Amino acid sequence: MGPMNRPRTFAERIAHVDMDAFFVEVERLRRPDLKGRAVVVGGAGPRSVVASASYEARRYGVHSAMPMIQARRLCPHLVVVVPDHAEYQAVSAEVFSVFAEFTPLVEAVSVDEAFLDIAGLRRHAATPAEVGERIRRTIRLRLGLPSSVGLGTTKLVAKMASRDAKPDGLLLVAAGGEIEYLHRKPVRALWGVGEATHARLEEIGVVTIGDLAALPRDALIRRLGGALGGHLADLAAGIDPRPVAPGEETRSISVEETYDTDLSDLGRMRRELLAQADRLAARLHHERLLAATVHLKVRYGDFTTVTRSHTFSAPVATARDLYRTTLALLERTDAAVRPVRLLGIGASGLVAADAPRQLVLTEGAWVEVERAIANVRDRFGHSAVDRASLTGEGGDDGRLPGSP
Amino acid sequence: MRIRAERDDLVDVLSRAGRAVGARAALPILQGLLIEVSGKTMRVTGTDLDVTVRTELEVEVLSGGTTVAPARLATEAVRKLPPGAVTFQAEAGEIEISGGGPVFRFREFSAADYPKLSEPVLKAAVAVDGAAFADAIGQVSVAASTDDARPVLTGVFFEAEGGKLRMVSTDSYRLAVRDVPAVEASLSGLVPVRALKELTRTVSAGKLRVAVGDREAAFASDRGVLTARLIEGSFPNYRSLIPASYPNRLRIARQALLEAIDRASLVAEDHIPIRITLQKGGIELSVTRQDVGGETEHVEAEYSGEEMTIAFNSKYLNDGVSAIDEDTIVLDVLDPLKPGVLRGGEGDDFLYLLMPVRL
Repeated sequence: MGPMNRPRTFAERIAHVDMDAFFVEVERLRRPDLKGRAVVVGGAGPRSVVASASYEARRYGVHSAMPMIQARRLCPHLVVVVPDHAEYQAVSAEVFSVFAEFTPLVEAVSVDEAFLDIAGLRRHAATPAEVGERIRRTIRLRLGLPSSVGLGTTKLVAKMASRDAKPDGLLLVAAGGEIEYLHRKPVRALWGVGEATHARLEEIGVVTIGDLAALPRDALIRRLGGALGGHLADLAAGIDPRPVAPGEETRSISVEETYDTDLSDLGRMRRELLAQADRLAARLHHERLLAATVHLKVRYGDFTTVTRSHTFSAPVATARDLYRTTLALLERTDAAVRPVRLLGIGASGLVAADAPRQLVLTEGAWVEVERAIANVRDRFGHSAVDRASLTGEGGDDGRLPGSP
Repeated sequence: MRIRAERDDLVDVLSRAGRAVGARAALPILQGLLIEVSGKTMRVTGTDLDVTVRTELEVEVLSGGTTVAPARLATEAVRKLPPGAVTFQAEAGEIEISGGGPVFRFREFSAADYPKLSEPVLKAAVAVDGAAFADAIGQVSVAASTDDARPVLTGVFFEAEGGKLRMVSTDSYRLAVRDVPAVEASLSGLVPVRALKELTRTVSAGKLRVAVGDREAAFASDRGVLTARLIEGSFPNYRSLIPASYPNRLRIARQALLEAIDRASLVAEDHIPIRITLQKGGIELSVTRQDVGGETEHVEAEYSGEEMTIAFNSKYLNDGVSAIDEDTIVLDVLDPLKPGVLRGGEGDDFLYLLMPVRL
């Protein structure tokens, strides 16, 4: 038992660690000439978007998800680096292994951010801020990368704090101070407030989270519906009981592509999806994962975006299953009648491939073939093996070669 | 058009035909029931273009004619009238339903808009016992898929086999095969399982005639006719999936096995398999779920073969054992990665093959 005045855990037990301009900083490790310059990582095509922007570029108003054309206009001397996701994944794995040295309670949010439950580190550090600084220092020393840490009593507060701490900083929102901290923030900063909800809240004069907290809960539920209204009322009151949920390092894997010109030919779309299903299957194989759910994302020429998903009765990993399902999902969109700007396939409900697995009656042959292809790719790269229908135009009826 | 009939008889023909009317019809007209009156008969048709149900009733015909009435409203209106005679008429764009005082009036759909449906073809139909056929459908339909991404697997494959009617279904994890005695079966086609599940609630009766044509399957009795558009595509070659011989055989009491599966299923949700160790004198059944716990038990049985542990999805196993209506169940296995086959200890008209879970 410790002394009375030393509680056994930290009140501010949740740390949100977010890597600063992660893709750019990883590139700078290999290319020191990029240091101090306005750099973005993103595709080179006319419709590419910024995936990650250096703080030098952000000073010109460039931010991630911005069309590359606009970014170049804002910052004419912008250096554009083509993304190397394999490298980012590899560095991400090293970042997460640093987290794992501090606590097993790590919940990955994406390749470059995670929640850590640091309550158990009370005996190893005097304050949560000390833990946060040690995490930042370890990442800096071992990997040469800057990161920011937010600390608080809930995930919501920790996440907002890491944002305020950027770049290369740390912010702790002390227990008891959450409400004051939250209420100054724009309501837009809350999880669950997208454009539509934001507009509905703005109509009734809600701008900050404080405005939201001042509304009677009933009124909010009436305006936004029970689930969302109740959720936001809780968040605005600082109530966020969600624990750090480890063991979900990879929640989803997806591939997508924005096309230089809108697609209106279904045959072409099917070929694109076949190629994406192939890439997705290769990544699942590489990570030794199976997917319970597959998602199709379609963005039309006017930027409206729809997603369709399907959950399998037993998880799958073959390109054939992913592709066949994606085609069925495509039929549930307007792709046949509206030009398409972006297509993407995602896999979620990921389970380890070596977990108990329901065997399939007819799979035998196909699984073996795809495993063989994946092994060739692992050794020789992705272009070593391609399906016949991807190497030429025409003649593709949307079926895999060899399908019945 | 104007007829008079007993309320309950009218509800019966309207509601059974109405089962083919989809909740979200593709065309507004498909929310209607086609009602044709001639001679002494009222014919009612409901369809979603994939499944069509036709019923008929002898009524007191005051004047003949054809109309299309809103399916749900008209059926419920008749149902809510007081018991006794009901008058149903269509005139000048309006349907009037009355009896015992209350009068309902609904806008009539235009009969000219109703799709032209081809007449059921029953020439080559085979006769089957309705109750046995319903049981058989219950047995095979559990293995059919509900996954629209693979339409072929949402059907039950009908074919003639050795003077019997054979029905086969699979969702690619299990496969059910059932033979039904029939006279001169010669048919083949993939019938949507959704349509088959509607049979008992629509037209099934003591005697049923079954025909599977090029495009449609038809099921007819004195209660009416259900037709279903066949699913296109070729059904997997199921014969090649059924192993030719089994060196390892378990004979076990069905009830004891079902109870054991039920206990294990308490823990075995979410794709957690049930492990079965087959050994002389019985089986060790166990389930373990990380972070939760588990259950184990011994069930006495006869086993001849090599000792081994095989795992199955609890629901798939339960579906198969439940479907067999015998006191003793036989489970044949080859090895832990090959399909197991369940059948009755006596009968040879039903077989349920299921793929194991790899541990």
